[in-house]
Amino acid sequence: MSTDTAAAHASASERHVVTRPRAARRTPQWRRALSFGNIGAVYVWLLIILAFTVWVPGTFATRTTFEQILNNNAVTGLIALSVVIPLAARVFDLSVAFTMTLSGVTVAHFAAQTGVGVAPAVGIALGVALLIGVLNGFVVVGLGVDSFIATLATGSLIKAFITMVTNDQSITGVQLLRPPFSSIAQTDVAGLTLPVLYLLVTAGAIWFVLERTATGRRLYATGFNPDAARLQRVATDRLRFLSLITSALLAGVAGIVFTSAIGSGSPTAGDPYLLAAYAAAFLGATQLRGGRFNAWGTVIAVLLLGTGTTGLSLASTPQWSTSVFTGIVLIVALAVTSGRVRVPQRMRRRAVATD
Amino acid sequence: MLGEMEVAIAAPETQPAGPPPVLRLERLSKTFGGTRALRDVTLEIAPGEVHALVGQNGCGKSTLIKTLAGYHAPDPGALAWLDGERFELSGVGDRHDRLRFVHQDLGLVTELSAVDNLALSRGYARTRLGSIDWAQQERTARALIGRFGMDIDVHRPLKEATPVECTVVAIAAALEGWTGGGVLVLDEPTAVLPHTEVERLLEIVREVRRGGTSVLYVSHRMNEIFDIADRVTVLRGGRVIGTRDVAHLTPQALATMMVGEDVDLSVRREAPSTARPAALEARDVRAGVLRGVSLAVGEGEVLGIAGLPGSGRETLPYALAGAWPGPVSGAMRLPAQSDAWTDLAEDDTARIPLVPANRTTEGVIGAFSVKENLTLPMLGRLRGRAALARRREDDLVDGWIDRLGIRAAGSDAPITTLSGGNQQKVVMARCLALGSQVLALCEPTAGVDVGTRMQLYDLVAEQARAGVGVLVSSSDEGDLIGMCTRVLVLRHGVVATELTGDQITEPNLLHAMEGS
Repeated sequence: MSTDTAAAHASASERHVVTRPRAARRTPQWRRALSFGNIGAVYVWLLIILAFTVWVPGTFATRTTFEQILNNNAVTGLIALSVVIPLAARVFDLSVAFTMTLSGVTVAHFAAQTGVGVAPAVGIALGVALLIGVLNGFVVVGLGVDSFIATLATGSLIKAFITMVTNDQSITGVQLLRPPFSSIAQTDVAGLTLPVLYLLVTAGAIWFVLERTATGRRLYATGFNPDAARLQRVATDRLRFLSLITSALLAGVAGIVFTSAIGSGSPTAGDPYLLAAYAAAFLGATQLRGGRFNAWGTVIAVLLLGTGTTGLSLASTPQWSTSVFTGIVLIVALAVTSGRVRVPQRMRRRAVATD
Repeated sequence: MLGEMEVAIAAPETQPAGPPPVLRLERLSKTFGGTRALRDVTLEIAPGEVHALVGQNGCGKSTLIKTLAGYHAPDPGALAWLDGERFELSGVGDRHDRLRFVHQDLGLVTELSAVDNLALSRGYARTRLGSIDWAQQERTARALIGRFGMDIDVHRPLKEATPVECTVVAIAAALEGWTGGGVLVLDEPTAVLPHTEVERLLEIVREVRRGGTSVLYVSHRMNEIFDIADRVTVLRGGRVIGTRDVAHLTPQALATMMVGEDVDLSVRREAPSTARPAALEARDVRAGVLRGVSLAVGEGEVLGIAGLPGSGRETLPYALAGAWPGPVSGAMRLPAQSDAWTDLAEDDTARIPLVPANRTTEGVIGAFSVKENLTLPMLGRLRGRAALARRREDDLVDGWIDRLGIRAAGSDAPITTLSGGNQQKVVMARCLALGSQVLALCEPTAGVDVGTRMQLYDLVAEQARAGVGVLVSSSDEGDLIGMCTRVLVLRHGVVATELTGDQITEPNLLHAMEGS
């Protein structure tokens, strides 16, 4: 992962580099990689683990708790990753939670109430998600509606459609409770369930696309300055369209995994995930790549937020405390990286510039 | 190192004689990380003078202005006086009655009218009921702007106003509630102005001076300084090289002070000795205000496009580069690639590399590094099997950084840490790296200092010698005189005049552009 030189950081807010920094002044790469500015959330995460270990001795610092945190947050992670690629291109997809729900009830319906079998049911659910992606792309790119409001609108339509066909009833059936369908999410590998693996594979794939390929560079260019990108022959419209397809497909995957995990197709499955996804993606953007939406930063953010909420529930705090935790972490993280808030000088010198 | 270099200048150092200075700075230094942007700067502004501040990009001008404005805190030890009274540079607020700023971006809200913009700084006039007293507000705005002999519609959004009108509104807003005296700081007020409107702005600066206010005038443009300034302070490498009376200086001597070595300002390009085949031909191009322009750029020719704002001068390169957002018609061909004519209305794939007119909004991507900016249009070529070939990308970028002498802390440095001139070099390198036989440059030297400007001229000349056909559209006559061997002057969307060789002079260009 490319990082910038220390001198460049120090003068990032300044437009003029007056003297060429000496090579000897460079901070070693590992120190930059481990700096607070780069992976502050990891340090905060460790601090939280330490705090809960002291606060809830016996129950928190156990293998079971950690497996639980990973397993419980895999779906959150998937849905958070689904919005990373659109956000890199400065496109909001607020319909992902509803796409997730729709894909979940679709797979439940076809797997439980028709005789088509599991694999075709999964295929149909992904096909439906793909259609949503095309619809979003058409409204945002084709009709030129601002993505924030456009996907809010398509989300509303999807929600209406879900209510219409499910009558707000969960779709249940024995086929959903036993293999092969249940094994999509309920297979254990060394204490961890398969969704954790899906999360890591997806994060790896998104990292590769954004960091290592021409497409990723062009996605970021589209997000940062679409006019300049277009003048450099970047097909910004096509990329924005494709980014909405990827978010819909990933939300579709998350929906299938969620349905398999709980064993029924819930018409409200996605509702709690929208805010969590954007919280993690924005918190993740403050990590590793200083201001760029990225995959591993998002995963770190999901784990940080997940650990906090799990710890709080183990500590038997009131239910609302987890929302308080998420809200405070988000505001603090984004405020620190906005540059308005003064961090102690010693931390600041190593902080990555994020403007 | 730089400070030890002796500069032989005939003009004597001016003495702070007569009335005490209205603004005085002493021992002002500013360090960013390991970079010393300002070193021990001393500056004195006399009452009622226009004091120019000049220097190449990266010399510390912007840092000095920002420190003065309280945006940056100076290193400890700096001293500052206003009208003989000490004030703290790191504090904000206490200086604003006698020291005001018009920054380069003007700080206007272009969606709002002049009335609203003026009210943003001075507050709205209220009626007794507490609602906005629009009649009063309008009278105030007209009075403020009328002082500068400007008659503008104060209710129109500023985005419909001309650049000079916007500058006037910004100056009026800065001078609000002013009783004379003090210092008005103008940071590159003419950077975005077309040449023909500069004189109007200079008249406005003179009007400010007549009101008894001193002006600290930051500019890149040599002739403005000789037109308007009483004294000039030159910065180089963060140090003050000297303060001189303008009356005792020549442009040559001032350029030498800025660059630190002798500069020949009287460049003139040799035309290609024989007629060469065309590198680019275009027929009947129509886009925006363009009403049918045909042209041919020969191999090794640098063809200038001149014209007033709105003449189509700004539109033509975009239309040819396939980058004009509106409908385009006409045909073009690049004989080196194919003899077939391309219909511009249907096919915009025959694109030629373009240096866009506005570096910050269209040229560079601020959040990207030097490398990411440079390789953006050629990522397809740098692809390995699936991922980018990172070694090849690094080598390519390092090669261009070397070749163009781009001053950056490395290829991964954020582009915004580079000075304007160096950013422009990156934009230029990006075009050259595409290896096209035709280039289109818009305002190639906007906001670029004298030294870099000469380097860019040389670079274009070098490309021309290698057989590349270059199209240069510029509002700066210096560009056209310094680079071009032939100039097409546009008026009302058509080619009005063609100037070649020795005909390309400033009077001829202005005459042709205005059609007088």
